Amino acid sequence: MLIDDAVRFLSQVPPFQFLEPDLLREVAQSLSMEFYPKGTVILQQDGSVSESLRIVQKGVVKITLRPKGGGEDVVVDYRERGETFGLVSLMGGQQKTTIVAIQDTLCYLLPKERLNELLGSHPAITEYLLQFHLTKYVDMTSREIQGKSLFLGTSDHLLFTAKVGEICRRAAATVEPDATIREAAQRMSEARQSAILVLGPGGSPDGIVTDSDLRSKVVARGHSIEDPVTRIMSRPVVTVEEKDPCFEVVLRMLQRNIHHIAVTRDGVLHGVITNHDFMVLQGRSPLAFSEDIERQTTLEGLAPVSQKALTVIGALLREGTRAANIIRIISELNDRIVRKVLELAELELGPPPVPYCWLALGSEGRKEQTFRTDQDNALVYADPRETQRERVVEYFRRFTVRVRNGLIRCGFEPCPANCMASNPDWCQPLSVWKGYFTGWISEPTPKAVLNSQIFFDFRPLHGDESMAWALREHLGRLIPDYPVFLGFLANMLVKNRPPLGFFGSVAVERGGEHKDGLNLKIKGVTPFVDIARLFALEKGVRAASTLDRLEALRGGATMISDLVDELGDAFEFLTLLRIHHQYRQMEAGRNIDNFIHLDTLSSLERQSLKNAFRLAMKVQDLVMDRFKAFII
Amino acid sequence: MGLGAWLGRVLGLGGGTAGPIADTPFVVLDTELTGLDERKDDIVSIGAVRMRGGRLELGGSFHELVNPKAALQARSVVIHGITPSQVAARPPIEEVLAAFLAYAGDAVLVGHCLPVDLAFLNREARRVAGGPLRNRTVDTLSLSAWLRQRHVEHPAFAGPPQGLGLFELARAFDIPVVEGHTALGDAYLTAQLLQRLLPLAAQAGVTDLASLLRVGDPTRQAEHLAPPGGPSPF
Repeated sequence: MLIDDAVRFLSQVPPFQFLEPDLLREVAQSLSMEFYPKGTVILQQDGSVSESLRIVQKGVVKITLRPKGGGEDVVVDYRERGETFGLVSLMGGQQKTTIVAIQDTLCYLLPKERLNELLGSHPAITEYLLQFHLTKYVDMTSREIQGKSLFLGTSDHLLFTAKVGEICRRAAATVEPDATIREAAQRMSEARQSAILVLGPGGSPDGIVTDSDLRSKVVARGHSIEDPVTRIMSRPVVTVEEKDPCFEVVLRMLQRNIHHIAVTRDGVLHGVITNHDFMVLQGRSPLAFSEDIERQTTLEGLAPVSQKALTVIGALLREGTRAANIIRIISELNDRIVRKVLELAELELGPPPVPYCWLALGSEGRKEQTFRTDQDNALVYADPRETQRERVVEYFRRFTVRVRNGLIRCGFEPCPANCMASNPDWCQPLSVWKGYFTGWISEPTPKAVLNSQIFFDFRPLHGDESMAWALREHLGRLIPDYPVFLGFLANMLVKNRPPLGFFGSVAVERGGEHKDGLNLKIKGVTPFVDIARLFALEKGVRAASTLDRLEALRGGATMISDLVDELGDAFEFLTLLRIHHQYRQMEAGRNIDNFIHLDTLSSLERQSLKNAFRLAMKVQDLVMDRFKAFII
Repeated sequence: MGLGAWLGRVLGLGGGTAGPIADTPFVVLDTELTGLDERKDDIVSIGAVRMRGGRLELGGSFHELVNPKAALQARSVVIHGITPSQVAARPPIEEVLAAFLAYAGDAVLVGHCLPVDLAFLNREARRVAGGPLRNRTVDTLSLSAWLRQRHVEHPAFAGPPQGLGLFELARAFDIPVVEGHTALGDAYLTAQLLQRLLPLAAQAGVTDLASLLRVGDPTRQAEHLAPPGGPSPF
């Protein structure tokens, strides 16, 4: 029964649940069990190393780190039922954290030898455990070094999907074996590298010299700098192939307690990777990414960083992050890139002659981009004096073109409808923008209504926000005066009926209008966006994003005020479905689109999709009733 | 090292008792009996698990049903759920005892209300092996009773007066009671109880084996069990 209990528990706990039942039972035989009353220090930083992997059966433990330079202990993580701790210590031979039971805690202990056998025989176990522990380890190490406050997001699992070749950017610095220590050190500082490879006969690396060798062997032990470099090099050089996953490389560094590893491409020396590179990789967490963006001082530097930001999304998805958070993070990253491009353009062209505000429009304005979408932006600037008008117009013309091209380099496709600030129509002083808005609302032609759907979702992204808010107020004053405008919006909204027929027979799908699948954006997401916009405009809500608009309408006097939660949930579900769909396409190297096929959905997804459609139709019916005077 | 421990070490008695509890091998056992009458009842089964300090080893537990000489009494059958036919195919007590003695080695034997188990085990050991068991012993009942006097504020001991039966203690310490009344099940429960008691004992200054043997002495139940005006343990 001891074994049965353990087997029953482990069969619900990853990664042990992946084991065949017989093996699981065998593993259970090797377990022991310990009880730690609340407050017990289970492992102590710099204390003796754990000899087992501990699996929490009950209770919670807290992992803290005492920074090297002193200061207060930092909470690194908590582990609870079904989670494990002690792996890094077990592998790395050093206990780097303190682990305390913060409740009465019961753990199963898997001895090191048994764990090693499992790691050897079951790649899935290895991957899972390393993923679970090492991300947190790398996270922790970089925090330790930077002494930064906590970022508890753990969206840096790319360590486990990225190949080492992807992050090994630098070519290896090399030196011939007959070189002196001085020459090697010079080469290292020229190449700004913390290590240099000493080539052997045949050109393959024979040894390695690192900064720490220079300190500990040359300076501390008084080697002459005219001695041959081979005197102080370490051998053999640990080598990995560029196809190896990063986590394996990190593991090797931990096991051997080294910080540099040579990377080969098809057996030929390609570069050197350091533990610092992995910290930068850890930096693929959204937070560190944005720091990376901030650090860039040229478009050349920004473009590759920006392109890589997309990979963050995959990590977020794999972690089951909520759709609302994913799109918020995507927006945040995109915003920072756009801001950076704007700053760089300002640097090049000099400060703007009058204040301006960069507006994000459409889905970017609503912070609802999934994968990077087209550029949708506009620029509003303070009305210039007549004498400076020409100069101002010319400045912003050059400015917006530069920004557009910069954004293209960073991976933002230009808008096919030329809905960009580089289009002179959409780069205007505040007075002209107010005129546009007045025109669209007072004379709602189809074109005007279409524009309003993009432009009224504007959001200030950079520059003088007060102009954006002035525009928003102008809009708020106009709407009540022209009820017919909302009527037009309502009219468009109710025409876009969700296709419940999509769920009908397969025959309909093959031959009918959905033979390409369902356009999830237009038929799924858009009705909800339109509903939120309609009522937000009616009520003068400042927010542009759908969820924020819904939130602002909660409990108010509109007909959807009681449906806020349902609408929000449906919107999130549709968004997540869309992101997943597009991410799969991106991973498969296909073009990204919005068309999903019924047969790719699980029954739960179908049911949720149906419910979302029904909800949209219900609200459309309400809208039709409310605006019936305007429904054509 | 205390004087007693030092003497023990010098005289080669029982492997020394000065070591920390954490390194001590324990065998936590339970026996199921046909009844409580030492003269005519028999052992039906022996279950045991190993611990090293507070660490309970899941593998290598001991569980043997015994073919008893006396007929199973109806009352015990109800409690233990072991039917005569199940028992008939089992080895006789001589074999099981030999296997258990080999299993236990010189580990410290632990049980809840251990004197009862010991009485039957010793009776058989005298008969089969020519003398009683020589292992050192700890009774979780004695230990609980002793601790209750010193940890009145602990949630397991606080609250309304309660008994110190194995199941009551298990519930008080939030140990899941899944399958009671098999020898192995109760041994497992007792082992988990010991896991909870050891940290409390350590707080009360009981960190070496010698102290544990003293406060867990099976023959000292009565001393601990009668706090002035306290509730009856049973």
